[in-house]
Amino acid sequence: MTKYAMVIDLQRCAGCGGCIIACKNENNLSQGVSWASKISWTVGTFPNVRFTYIPTLCNHCQNAPCVAACPTGAMYKTENGITMLDTDKCIGCRYCMAACPYGVIHFNATESQAFWKDDTALMAGTSSPVEVTAAVGAKVMPYYNPEREATLPGIRPAGTVEKCTFCDHRLEEGLLPYCVEACPAQARIFGDLDDPSSDVSKLISRYQPMRLRESLGTEPKVYYIRGFHPGSYKKTYGGLG
Amino acid sequence: MKKEASTQVVEVPDRGSSRRSFLKLMGATGASSALAGVMPKLKYFEPDQVGEAQSVGLGQWLPTTCQGCTSWCSVQVYVIDGRAVKVRGNPNSKVNGEASCPRAHLGLQQVYDPDRVKTPMKRTNPKKGPGEDPQFVPISWDEALDTIADKLMELRDNNETHKYMLMRGRYSYMRDIIYDRMPKIIGSPNNISHSAICAEAEKFGPYYTEGEWAYRQYDVLNTNYILLWGADPLSANRQVSYYLSAWGDVLDRAKCVAIDPRLTATAVKSAEWMPIRPGTDGALAVAMAHVILTEGLWYKPFVGDFVDGVNLFVPGKTVDEAAFQEVYTSGLVKWWNIELKDKTPEWAAEITGLSAEQIRRVATEYGKAAPHAISWVGGGPVMQPRGAYGCMAAHALNGLVGAVDNVGGTLKANKEYTQSFPAPDDYVDEIAKKGKSKEKIDQRGRKEFPALKKGKSGKGVVTNNAADAIVNEDPYEIKVAIGYMNNFAFSCPQTARWYEALAKIPFLVHITTHASEFSWFADIILPSTHHMFEKYGYLKAFGNGYRHVTLNLPVIEPVWDVYTDETEIPWMIAEKLASRGFDNLLRHYQSYVDPETGAAPTNAEEFALYALKYATHKLWDPAKHEGGDKFSGWEEFKSVGVWNSDPYPYRKRWGAMKTATGKFEFYSETLKAALEGHAKKHSTDVDDILKTCNYTARGELAFVPHFEEPLVHGDEDEYPLLFVDYKSRLNREGRSANCTWYQELRDLDPGDEAWADVAKFNPLDAEKLGIKTGDKIKLISPTGELTCTAKVWEGVRPGTVAKAYGQGHWSYGRVAAAEFGKTPRGGNNNDLIPADYDRLSGSSAFYGFFRVKVEKV
Repeated sequence: MTKYAMVIDLQRCAGCGGCIIACKNENNLSQGVSWASKISWTVGTFPNVRFTYIPTLCNHCQNAPCVAACPTGAMYKTENGITMLDTDKCIGCRYCMAACPYGVIHFNATESQAFWKDDTALMAGTSSPVEVTAAVGAKVMPYYNPEREATLPGIRPAGTVEKCTFCDHRLEEGLLPYCVEACPAQARIFGDLDDPSSDVSKLISRYQPMRLRESLGTEPKVYYIRGFHPGSYKKTYGGLG
Repeated sequence: MKKEASTQVVEVPDRGSSRRSFLKLMGATGASSALAGVMPKLKYFEPDQVGEAQSVGLGQWLPTTCQGCTSWCSVQVYVIDGRAVKVRGNPNSKVNGEASCPRAHLGLQQVYDPDRVKTPMKRTNPKKGPGEDPQFVPISWDEALDTIADKLMELRDNNETHKYMLMRGRYSYMRDIIYDRMPKIIGSPNNISHSAICAEAEKFGPYYTEGEWAYRQYDVLNTNYILLWGADPLSANRQVSYYLSAWGDVLDRAKCVAIDPRLTATAVKSAEWMPIRPGTDGALAVAMAHVILTEGLWYKPFVGDFVDGVNLFVPGKTVDEAAFQEVYTSGLVKWWNIELKDKTPEWAAEITGLSAEQIRRVATEYGKAAPHAISWVGGGPVMQPRGAYGCMAAHALNGLVGAVDNVGGTLKANKEYTQSFPAPDDYVDEIAKKGKSKEKIDQRGRKEFPALKKGKSGKGVVTNNAADAIVNEDPYEIKVAIGYMNNFAFSCPQTARWYEALAKIPFLVHITTHASEFSWFADIILPSTHHMFEKYGYLKAFGNGYRHVTLNLPVIEPVWDVYTDETEIPWMIAEKLASRGFDNLLRHYQSYVDPETGAAPTNAEEFALYALKYATHKLWDPAKHEGGDKFSGWEEFKSVGVWNSDPYPYRKRWGAMKTATGKFEFYSETLKAALEGHAKKHSTDVDDILKTCNYTARGELAFVPHFEEPLVHGDEDEYPLLFVDYKSRLNREGRSANCTWYQELRDLDPGDEAWADVAKFNPLDAEKLGIKTGDKIKLISPTGELTCTAKVWEGVRPGTVAKAYGQGHWSYGRVAAAEFGKTPRGGNNNDLIPADYDRLSGSSAFYGFFRVKVEKV
């Protein structure tokens, strides 16, 4: 049996956000929607300051609270461990969002890709968004990716939720999730947790991985290894001040 | 996991509300009433416009080049049915490979931007100004080109061809067709590039120490130590994609120290941050040199040693030059005696605001890592008045530790084999000769503008000074001007000067993808192809020990009726000039024959293609091969999209540097000759030149790397904070603010916020000034002001305020501007930055040299 998992190497991650944009691109995400995202914050007091960054996405939890919460079976687990979504069954109740401890599910309260529905031009000699889409013969928007349609609607209708699918449409064609391919730092490593010789299995064995909110028992399938912050510090016992 | 397979649902723990029981509920009461009050809006059940099963692999990955910054990464574009859908790094490049930084993706939102100009336009409002709507109306290409040709012919007829000016912003290496050949043949000296608002001062240090007027590549995978002087390679310029791909491994073996008043993206991924006081990098650099020498840590196989083996570099003591035997360097003892001997870490601590302990420790660690120890000089510490010497000082550390041209050190570009376009000489007539012999409009080479590019007075450009020169008609008026892929009204400091200059030019043409701030003053806009998707061109870039030559290729049909700035448009103008009796330019362009067939171009598109094949002939023709990747012919080269050089030949330049001495010069005989040359031209001495150009050095100090006290605009009492400008990691130079991905993700820059333009204050200053996060504020410098939002953040040095360049467009498009043509989104840093220069390099100053005050709005 295949159990997909992702390892994110925080030492390689430079916080560039390439994953976020690539994901928006691959999955035709609307403005304001990011299936791949990040948590970032600043700690310390000048000059001892650090900016910290953790890339996030759906954790494809083994015990997925969103699946348990979904009243229609729209959110479900596939046999290879993906937390998948059937948009046709989604009624937009958003129980999944309430149940998800990671805040990685998005609800489309309004029409997706509204920017590209606008038919006004800024001035003479320029065009409206609708006109560009028509000029290049695209659906929805000019750089629309029809490949997303293999397993989900290319854009998700208003009144439904959406989230990362580990790019299931690519996996079945033997391609890695697009964020994995697009990360310039190769900080995202993808593979089968049930195969002990896979890179993800080896990395998880080698490093003590961290998972988000592990104590909740969700068994996330996104593992973080190594540290975002390099460097050492001078040996010390600390002290009592 | 196809649709049918996806119905296999894995058992999940039941938490009470199973699907079946829910459906029962629905059956009983209906969905909407069941969930009334739970959700604002349910999915409506009309047919989806999408949803048919499609398999992956519908498109093709086609090669081209990203010019979002000057990394010039080779990329591939995923094209489905003639549409560009995705972008990735080109795995065939040995420089960036499959890595692509985040900004490359934004190209998609540029090429398909609805606010792109899709047809030529002319202004109908004769009044020109930032608040004047040009009232552009679409016109035909014919009308646009006829008008331009008439204006150029008028200059020719009146023997005043020098009053034509070409302004170049970003470019491909097809540039010389429009930038060099066209002005020369028409008869103008005025081809003004953007280079001096880029980072020319960064080239000054390397040139006057090791004879290379160029940016460098850094051998990061073989290094043990990296000092980053205001460089932020994980975010901005150069080879961002490559360094992003390498950094995780770099950290396994090297210590990185980021020297910057702001906690940069790379500082975040460095072991140590040295939050230096702006403008004082030169002091830190010479103190580090002092430590390296006094501690005996210089790299002896490169630099040499004392004759009797005893280190005589004792603080405060001069050394007899004869006591030291240098190997591949020149002037070490002179440098020590003239500048370094008293420059202790304690001295530097006072100036830089860093601790002497940290300075000594970092310098010692760096010295001990020799020769695999990089001193990486970025724009921050050098694009300042007097920045030339700071650049020399920081770069000279590479010489001390033998990192120059060495494994794990700082390298030049590898050899490549592109060739120049055919020479224009036979087509330059008497009118043109006379015109082009006139002084250039940017006043380069005048006493106060040495611009000593490659050792020659006035060889470099002084881009930003052209505005004042145009306004003052000094040396003369400009009557006809063309700008391409530039936006000097946005990208040059003290923008209001450009508003005035551009409004004054009687006939201004802008070749552009977007109606930018520069376009606002244009009489005619010519819409340009997008460099990454619609254009023939090529770029040269280096990193990872290689150089690549990567092609810009039209991977899609142009979206609109647009032509290419550097090739097709000059050809079309040349045709119009020919039809008016002046055919020299067209005949010259017709000499760019297809190397494969010998055919002369007969139209604009053929010309663009043949010119590219001509320039890259030796790369793709196996019969002409001289090195690097070998192809079977043009078609194969075009399908791969990139040529890679041979690997880097380490240490080949040791003893053979292009300096006056052939050595790495700590005492720059090369600079001495250049300064003396400039002084002689103006019948004066070097000291007078330095005084005129606002440098503090006199005498021998002028020829060695040294610390110059920063020249700061604005009195500290009135203007309490030093301004720190930087570049966002999503900036495609100034061109991406109209992309929603840019705005949504501006918070990828440490400290920044999405959809906002925040000035960041240290909490200590914020408290003093009564500023809170979210306050709408005005920043005011001695020369200008802008409005933005305040953010209190620990990642900036107290006494400074940091804000990214990129926002503040009042034109460009619906996303970039808050109200197109009227109100900017955020503020443009260049509205704040005074026009000043590092005059020895001609560079515009951007960093650390002026103060601002803050007012709440």
